[in-house]
Amino acid sequence: MSEDSYVAAASSTVTTKATPPESQVPVEASPETPRRRRRRFSLGLDRFSGVYVLALIIIIFGFWVPNTFLTTLNLRTILAAQAITALVSLGLLLPMAAGNFDLSVGATLGTSLMLVLKLQNIGMNALLASVIAILSGAVIGLVNGIVVVAFNVDSFIATLGMSSILSAVTVAISGGQQIATGISPTFLKLASTQWFGINAPVYYTLGVAILLWAFLEYRPGGRAIYATGGNPRAARLAGIRVGRVVASTLVASGAISAFAGVLLASTLGAGTPTVGPPYLLPAFTAVFLGATQIKRGRVNVVGTILAIFLLATGVKGLQLAGAPIYLPDLFNGLALLLAVALAVRSRRAR
Amino acid sequence: MDTALTVRGVSVQFGGTRALDSVDLEVKPGEVRALVGENGSGKSTLVKVLAGVHTPEPGAMVEVAGQPFSFGTAGAGDSLGLRFVHQDLGLVDSMDVVDNLAVGRGYRYVRNGVIMWRREAHAAHEALAALGYDVDVRRPVIELSMSERTAVAIARAVLPGKIETRMLILDEPTANLPATEARRLFELIRRVRDNGTAILFVSHHFAEVFAIADTATVLRDGKMVTTQRISDITEDELITHVVGAKLAQETGLEEPYTAAGSVALSIESLGGRVIDNLNLEVHAGEVVGVAGTTGSGREELPGLLFGDGPRTGTVRVAGKVLPAMKPHRAIAMGVGLVPAERRTRAAFMEACLRENVTIIDTNRNKRFGLISKSKERKDTLAWLRRLNVRPPQPETRIEDLSGGNQQKVILSRWLRQSPKLLILDDPTQGVDVGAKAEIHSLIEEAANEGMAVLIASTDEAELARLCHRVLVLRQGKVRHEMFAPNMTADELTARTIGGTV
Repeated sequence: MSEDSYVAAASSTVTTKATPPESQVPVEASPETPRRRRRRFSLGLDRFSGVYVLALIIIIFGFWVPNTFLTTLNLRTILAAQAITALVSLGLLLPMAAGNFDLSVGATLGTSLMLVLKLQNIGMNALLASVIAILSGAVIGLVNGIVVVAFNVDSFIATLGMSSILSAVTVAISGGQQIATGISPTFLKLASTQWFGINAPVYYTLGVAILLWAFLEYRPGGRAIYATGGNPRAARLAGIRVGRVVASTLVASGAISAFAGVLLASTLGAGTPTVGPPYLLPAFTAVFLGATQIKRGRVNVVGTILAIFLLATGVKGLQLAGAPIYLPDLFNGLALLLAVALAVRSRRAR
Repeated sequence: MDTALTVRGVSVQFGGTRALDSVDLEVKPGEVRALVGENGSGKSTLVKVLAGVHTPEPGAMVEVAGQPFSFGTAGAGDSLGLRFVHQDLGLVDSMDVVDNLAVGRGYRYVRNGVIMWRREAHAAHEALAALGYDVDVRRPVIELSMSERTAVAIARAVLPGKIETRMLILDEPTANLPATEARRLFELIRRVRDNGTAILFVSHHFAEVFAIADTATVLRDGKMVTTQRISDITEDELITHVVGAKLAQETGLEEPYTAAGSVALSIESLGGRVIDNLNLEVHAGEVVGVAGTTGSGREELPGLLFGDGPRTGTVRVAGKVLPAMKPHRAIAMGVGLVPAERRTRAAFMEACLRENVTIIDTNRNKRFGLISKSKERKDTLAWLRRLNVRPPQPETRIEDLSGGNQQKVILSRWLRQSPKLLILDDPTQGVDVGAKAEIHSLIEEAANEGMAVLIASTDEAELARLCHRVLVLRQGKVRHEMFAPNMTADELTARTIGGTV
């Protein structure tokens, strides 16, 4: 039972689209196959490669450490642990789709986490504290947006600067100490509630993912974001208000990261200033790796979620198989390099 | 052994298509050979074989001045004396002429590891002077005119080095040049030829072929159709070889515009970087052309009107004032712009045709508040069919289409909006003969249905063919105005340089 349920659930987010178009696979690839032809051929294989790799990982560890890996407990652990990372990467995905970086997502998460705890610590109602924390994320995004759009600072620099400023703010809020007292029990329930044995943050993340997916795929606003990311000059001449689009995506990524911070605060029930920034790299890895999947060369929601689970399942399997403690960072770092290399290669292949 | 380039039995297969089919070619030293053909006829494939990008099928043979050429190696042609100037020129815009000449071959005057700038500059100036250009060699090349930049690229290609230059291959060098600058380039090509260098000149413009080439080789569907001496053939005959069937002779409009339509566009004392106090009215159904050399303001006007740069003066569309720098307002008021630089300013290269066509108005194909992709596909397909885009597949990426088809996609994007005023900037640049004629009749059709059209173009024949009236700009001002049916391409060209015919 455990085997089946694991496989089904782990790939549930992706298997709906995962049937490879078999008719397209066998094409003889001579060295002189031109660009167009080669791409059409590889499309079917490449854009779902993540699904195959995920399946491979599951099979390998299923044989290697069947007693611990192929369990519902393990699935739940992976889902719960990745919900926050997935949420941050979904936020990051928006500015990335519009052609901008947001290096402040990790720091925004940290600030919001610290803020929601501190506000309760000084006696504020949990709901109000959460709302303020999320709004603070939106304000951070707005400042990013203004710096990028109105002052024409490259988003890489602008959000890197913001990230450093936020680290300072976070330490200032915390007073350099862990905050773990005065937290409302209701607030802790936000993350600890379970439905069908799965923690609430997984559902929140799923909800955000579905909303974002529908928005990017099926709303004019989503088209405007992709158009801006694809060719900002052409987008402007097509009547898209590029500045607004860019600023909006940064506001959204700020708010979503802050929401992730609130959920993490609720999960941990305590916080230190160092909690947030480590979320940045995995989120980037997921977005980049996701861009090589499903819709190649374009960052997208389904690819990002697939990437998250691909990385998490690999790391978890290695851990269960007794890999050393430094492994997750190594694995994520290698995956990021590989993802970007793949993305560049697929862009060049065009 | 008296040939600069010998090509025998070169075939290249791309998947299911035969891009080149057993092509033979022989060019003598000091000969200017034009290579003509529609987009997709195999011209660029042949150039790329010579550049070492593509490897032909076994049995092919290429010799440069009697030396065998090894296929598929990037430097092979270079070491035999083949030199290339591609359409994009390959210059580093931010660097000056001296530096650009040194790219690839290094600086010539270096003592103890230090570049001797004065001697380098002097040598660079000499090199350009030999081609008939007097250029400040310490200026970044981006500040030079297009023909000067082309000259720099050619100077770099023919600069004497260790290996003698046997053959210069020019891949559409005039695509971005107005007629006057193209003429200067021809003078330059003659000078290179007079040194005994063979020249292979790839071009879409038959007028240029007749102006400069000694012989012309026509490619069609990957096959060599014919090679003719230019003096033995007429332009019509050459076009027939290129397209395979005789096209109807293009003639201009027979009647001037009689002001029946309302005023779609009115411009009062418009000013920009170059444009100075320009006044103009365009009526519904009227096609107005703008001619001028580069730097005359011709290339500035379309963007200025649409909101792509700061301007002074008043622009009204159907009586309402159009603010500067706000393309979204221009679109809302019923204006469309097909810009000249398709890749950088119009197309979303990585997006599909459906997304490219519908981008201006994505609200049109909604169902329950969400975009319906199937509705969009239908909508797009109707436009692709109407404009005869090939292939008519809404989910194909636009970058997979030929230049002419890409341009038709951009055109359908705007025709779908049924604008009151459509501004076109060099709408058929780099487009093959067949697609060009189709685009022209689409423009004509739209004007007949009451759309006002403003066309800026470097192709005077295009203006003579389409326009009721053409403004000739020089130094930012309207210097001359010509009306159908009494205008010809030659006369327009003459007016852009300031001559009278």
